[in-house]
Amino acid sequence: MSAAVEGRPPAPAEPVLVTRGLSKSYRTGHIVQGRRPALVDLDLQLLRGEILGYVGPNGSGKTTTFKLLMGLVRPDRGEARVLGEPLASRAWRVRAGYLPEHPYLYDYLTPAEYLDYAGRLFGLSRDARRRRARELLALVGLERSADVPMRRFSKGMLQRAGLAQALVNDPELVFLDEPMSGLDPVGRRLVRDLVLDLRKAGKTVLFSTHILSDAETLCDRVAVLRGGRLLSVGALGELLRVDVTHLEVLASGIARDTAGLELARRAEPVGDRLRLEVEEGSLARVVAAIEGAGGRVLGVQPVRRTLEDYFFEELGGAPAGAGARGSAAWGEG
Amino acid sequence: MSLRLALALALAATLVPLSQDRIDRRAGVFRAQEEVLYLWSGENVKRLVPGFENIAADVYWLRTVQYFGGQRRFARDKRFDLLRPLIEITTTLDPRFEIAYRYGAIFLSEPPPIGAGRPREGIEVLERGAQALPGSWRLRQDLGFFHFLFLNDPAAAAKVLTEASKIPGAAFWLRTLAADLLAKGGDRASSRQMWRQMFEQAEEGIIRENARVRLRILDSLDTRDRLAAAVAEFERREGRRPARLEELQAARLWKGPLEDAAGVRFGYDAATGRVFIPDTSPMWRPD
Amino acid sequence: MRAGVNRTLAVAANAFRETVRERVLYNLVFFAILMTLAGLLLGQLSVRQDEKILKDIGLAAMDLFGTLIAVFIGTGLVSKEIERRSLYPLLAKPLSRGEFFIGKFAGLAFTLFVNLSVMLLALMLTLVLTQRRPDLGLLGAVYPIFLGLLLTVGFAMLFSSVTSSTLAAVLTVGVVIVGRYADVIRGMREVAPTIPPALVNALFTILPNYANFDFKSQVAYGDPVPAGLLGWSTLYAVGWLGVVLGLGLASFRSRDFQ
Repeated sequence: MSAAVEGRPPAPAEPVLVTRGLSKSYRTGHIVQGRRPALVDLDLQLLRGEILGYVGPNGSGKTTTFKLLMGLVRPDRGEARVLGEPLASRAWRVRAGYLPEHPYLYDYLTPAEYLDYAGRLFGLSRDARRRRARELLALVGLERSADVPMRRFSKGMLQRAGLAQALVNDPELVFLDEPMSGLDPVGRRLVRDLVLDLRKAGKTVLFSTHILSDAETLCDRVAVLRGGRLLSVGALGELLRVDVTHLEVLASGIARDTAGLELARRAEPVGDRLRLEVEEGSLARVVAAIEGAGGRVLGVQPVRRTLEDYFFEELGGAPAGAGARGSAAWGEG
Repeated sequence: MSLRLALALALAATLVPLSQDRIDRRAGVFRAQEEVLYLWSGENVKRLVPGFENIAADVYWLRTVQYFGGQRRFARDKRFDLLRPLIEITTTLDPRFEIAYRYGAIFLSEPPPIGAGRPREGIEVLERGAQALPGSWRLRQDLGFFHFLFLNDPAAAAKVLTEASKIPGAAFWLRTLAADLLAKGGDRASSRQMWRQMFEQAEEGIIRENARVRLRILDSLDTRDRLAAAVAEFERREGRRPARLEELQAARLWKGPLEDAAGVRFGYDAATGRVFIPDTSPMWRPD
Repeated sequence: MRAGVNRTLAVAANAFRETVRERVLYNLVFFAILMTLAGLLLGQLSVRQDEKILKDIGLAAMDLFGTLIAVFIGTGLVSKEIERRSLYPLLAKPLSRGEFFIGKFAGLAFTLFVNLSVMLLALMLTLVLTQRRPDLGLLGAVYPIFLGLLLTVGFAMLFSSVTSSTLAAVLTVGVVIVGRYADVIRGMREVAPTIPPALVNALFTILPNYANFDFKSQVAYGDPVPAGLLGWSTLYAVGWLGVVLGLGLASFRSRDFQ
């Protein structure tokens, strides 16, 4: 499921976004005022053509980062350059798109009207706007609701409309804050495919999520935040440190206490199968033990940590559970 | 809607007019307005509604008309103690509200039951109006008329009418009328002329109606005087006073009806030979 | 520059569309009913009073309804966008905060213009249908009413950029009421001589004097309003609007949208 290799342009990518020391704290309290740091010293680079996942628990500074970049709040310190322009310039906004978290898009308008309005703000001609609205509504699966006032939209439909408006100007750089939120599996797949298409078209995407499996399946690199600070950035492989000294063996038809299995470092039942963690050197003997007891070896894989594991282990807190871990290793998250 | 709910609604709805009626009976229909009038002067009301003075004046004017009648019929149960404050507030809010001054003046000056019987106050109202609207010759004209008609002061009337005649657009006969008043001290012909003018200048409504009645009163007075002359002539011829007014008709000294302009029979005192308008007649006015 | 104007107009057009969709213009229905009733019921009084009273009602209603729209829609223009965050996707586009702010103002100004125009036509129609002359002199009162309403919108937008829509509405109503009393306050010198004149003058200067936009009485009596006076009232409105919108814009620009 790793998307790491598909469609990446070969040349070393230049950064489309660079932040240095970007910081923001908010005033808290009404009577006694304190300051709560929301983002501290963010040094981040976004390379052209990549999909960067921005992950972290609630309150870790993800949305604050987006707001700083979009000019909705002003940084206390630090600077940023987007598409070669200073942060405060409006010039780069012509080439960028933004989907906020929980977008609210004028419930008295239809999505077609909203896209037309957005198009006007980009200075598109009337024909271009009309064409673009049609394309985008088809892209996000809202063609049949093009003339329905958005007050009647479900959360999922609003999310998709929000996505459409983020792409009105065919942007080079797209910022998506929790794009999967509120979507059913069909919607999530739609968004996922859309993001992948964007990358295929050479665009750059920064998206934040707290659904780690989405980040795993879509991103080239992942940036992890906690408490307003950037903990680590890197390709998934680096972060997750694929561990090849141990292997996972999936077997069926044998019980846990079968002789020979004590060589395995770990053994857990997964449904009616058994999952074993085995050192490379012991692999042959374990396989023999399984087959000798009348079982079958269904598969062998290198041990892989999931992002979730990483998350919990690095950030504190137990992993979600061996069952979850197992299934993550073998299939959809 | 369920039947119970509908019944409950109907019951609640009938409570509203029923209780309103009871409240009105106990406290009087216009109590809210009356309190305001007694508590607030025109200046204070004006301060309260900046930007909406005109429409507030209209509201007070409409209340005035409600109280005292706007159409041909005169209202019953009038509260003349409220007339002055209502007019004062209306004209303070909108000093150009010409008809309010006139209306107030007439119904303050006319004797009861038609008016309050306070001609001095009526004249004060007209004076305020004449000051606020110096270009209005009609208000000054009314002021002059009222001095004569209600205060019996032909000299003052003449003075005011002369001033009125100098205002641009004033009627040409004001000057001659003033001269007449000065010369002859005023008589019924002058009164008639004045009421005639007020009749013609008024629009259809109770101001005009009042003038019409006044003219009829003058007609009745004329008829009375002619009857008295006929009685005197009868006495001269027959050596005695007639016992009844019909005798004048029999003696061909009188043609036409023996009723005043309201259709009420003239009163006759055979002992003194006095012909009078009985106080039961709408044409009666105190001397 | 041109692109900026186009964006501002786009915002204005959308603001107008919003008021239409939110059925603000239904107030015109009430106005029409009011005019009809007034035209019919005032038949009790003599002819000349009818015309004056009809005009009084029409002009007062324009002022009142217009003020209500200016306050309640005006205060929502900015604060509602902030509260609901519908602002966010817009400001991420090449739309500056200034273009957004001025665009919203222009949209509501246009709404008020349409509203007043329709009301004026309805009043003229009522006059014609009740056999009186339609009086173009009414424009002499309607135009300054419009100026006053624009100023009210300006205040509404200023307050709504610094505080919530509810508080902004309260403050704007407060300013409008006090503004109508500005003349009374000026006259305070005679009524309450103990108050130091410096204070009275200061108070009068910092308050918008809405009496400068009130020519309803003379127009109802058929007096024309001198063009020079209207010109100065316009400049007064422009001056105040400059201050109010400028402050509002400055506040809006510097705000963090948490």
